Amino acid sequence: MRRSLPSPTAVFTGLVFVFLYLPIAIVVLNSFNADSALIGWGGFTGKWYSHALSDQRVRGDFVTSVEVALLATGISLVIAVSAGLWGRRAGPRARRLLDASTYMRIVLPEVVTALALFLILRRYDVTLGVPTIVAGHVVFNSAYATLIIQARLATMTEVLEEAAADLGAPPRRVFRRVTLPLLMPAVIVAALLTLSFSFDDLVTSLFLGGTNAETLPVLLLGLIRLHVTPEVNAIASGVTTITLVTFALSAVVISLRGAAGVRTARIEPLMAEEPA
Amino acid sequence: MASSAVTPPRRPHRWRRVGRGALILPGLLWTLAFFVAPLALMVVYSFGQIDIITFKTTFGWTLENYRQLNNDIYIHTIIRSLEMSAGATIGCLLVGCPVAYTIARSRGRVQTLLLLGVMVPFWTSFVVRTYAWVNLLSNDGLVTRALHALRLESESAQIIYTPMAVTIGLIYTYLPLMILPLYVALERIDTQLVQAASDLGASRFGVFRRVVFPLSMPGVIVGCILVGVPATGEYVIPAILGGDKTLMYGNVVANQFLRVGDYPFGSALAVTLMSLVTVFLVATRSRLARMEEIT
Repeated sequence: MRRSLPSPTAVFTGLVFVFLYLPIAIVVLNSFNADSALIGWGGFTGKWYSHALSDQRVRGDFVTSVEVALLATGISLVIAVSAGLWGRRAGPRARRLLDASTYMRIVLPEVVTALALFLILRRYDVTLGVPTIVAGHVVFNSAYATLIIQARLATMTEVLEEAAADLGAPPRRVFRRVTLPLLMPAVIVAALLTLSFSFDDLVTSLFLGGTNAETLPVLLLGLIRLHVTPEVNAIASGVTTITLVTFALSAVVISLRGAAGVRTARIEPLMAEEPA
Repeated sequence: MASSAVTPPRRPHRWRRVGRGALILPGLLWTLAFFVAPLALMVVYSFGQIDIITFKTTFGWTLENYRQLNNDIYIHTIIRSLEMSAGATIGCLLVGCPVAYTIARSRGRVQTLLLLGVMVPFWTSFVVRTYAWVNLLSNDGLVTRALHALRLESESAQIIYTPMAVTIGLIYTYLPLMILPLYVALERIDTQLVQAASDLGASRFGVFRRVVFPLSMPGVIVGCILVGVPATGEYVIPAILGGDKTLMYGNVVANQFLRVGDYPFGSALAVTLMSLVTVFLVATRSRLARMEEIT
């Protein structure tokens, strides 16, 4: 290890980090920029934020986003925990089916799955709105949550649960007092990830929201296409802060190294598996 | 896997077994209703036809919609869209390799920080990340001015709303998904192998070509899947950075449904996209499985 001169790859890595952070940094900086034409730096201001916060549409969309994210997360967790527990007892063939379903829900392009859902909802004249957005979000969010719960279950032995059952605890109490507490870290991580995926989603929310429900990312897309105003930067910074904080929280729950593993959870089914 | 050796429950009451089986119901019902059934209906629709006047769909088993794909406009868009996602994947690979190598070489706290540094932009809002490039790539934006100054683009050339803008957006968004598997693959390489190769007289490039590169292939393939697949079906990035001029496959499909209203043809487009992705996944997966066998 030479200390004096950084290697070309290290210099390149530094440049890549600039590439990764500069665009976001400019958005955040501009959200405080008093120059409304955004050509130069016009001094520090918080007025774009107060504009955004007093905008009825922004407020309404924020509430919708939170509503959708909470509902989608709740349902996804129920599905993921029960499917995970089921998979623990299922035979190899049933398990492979569960894994295939989880995998397909993650890898198929969201445009396709969301439009298929749009098609069937239109066919049966279902009104688009918050419930239909939630239906779409749960499809992929429950898959991510299942992966996380399964990963935790794979590292758990059933010794404690068996002990509780032997000592006379009925199944429901075994679940509540033993299984669930052991699963809790994974449940929290899964909850935070699905919250942020849902809050941040654009494609499904756009296709399945119709004219009745608009989330913040959908509003942003409309504003960006129309005209870039300083207020957009404030909304964008706000949205990005919320997503970032939820992710950061999940990173705190698991260790830092584990955090890299969770977001790459889609890699695992590809790298592992395929036993001889 | 780990639970297969577990002893069966001591008192297998009938109701308890039924209760266990019911655990799959929430996931099963949700997946059937909102994933399997819609996709099946889409396949059926793709063989149906729409009446231009009444907008009523009739189901038959016609290949007309797939034949319509052969139309120059659509073939052209599909190929250009595949070009863009391939370009973005290669771009991510070129940019990601040195970064993954640097991270794999570093140790302890520095490594953790670098990994976190790669992750954090990925944790920020997707729309905002793409929107950030609107500023930079617009006609008086920072990057446009820099490219002009460096004479990489002619003075008059517009960047935003071109395939180049979309490709830059794709690389920017998906880069972390390339770096992480590359890093995992590099990290797994036994340093003794590298040492042995150079002891036996291999040059630095020789070590890379004969040892490091083949061993990191699984990481390269996984990275290409993680970038290539979502990039092919991308909707948001071309919608923002491509304007109405540079559409990708995902946008063309969505337009058929949301603007034109030709569901059968839109379904044919969507089913084709789905098939493309599936073929790509199956091909790379078996390749990957064979590779794991060798190593």
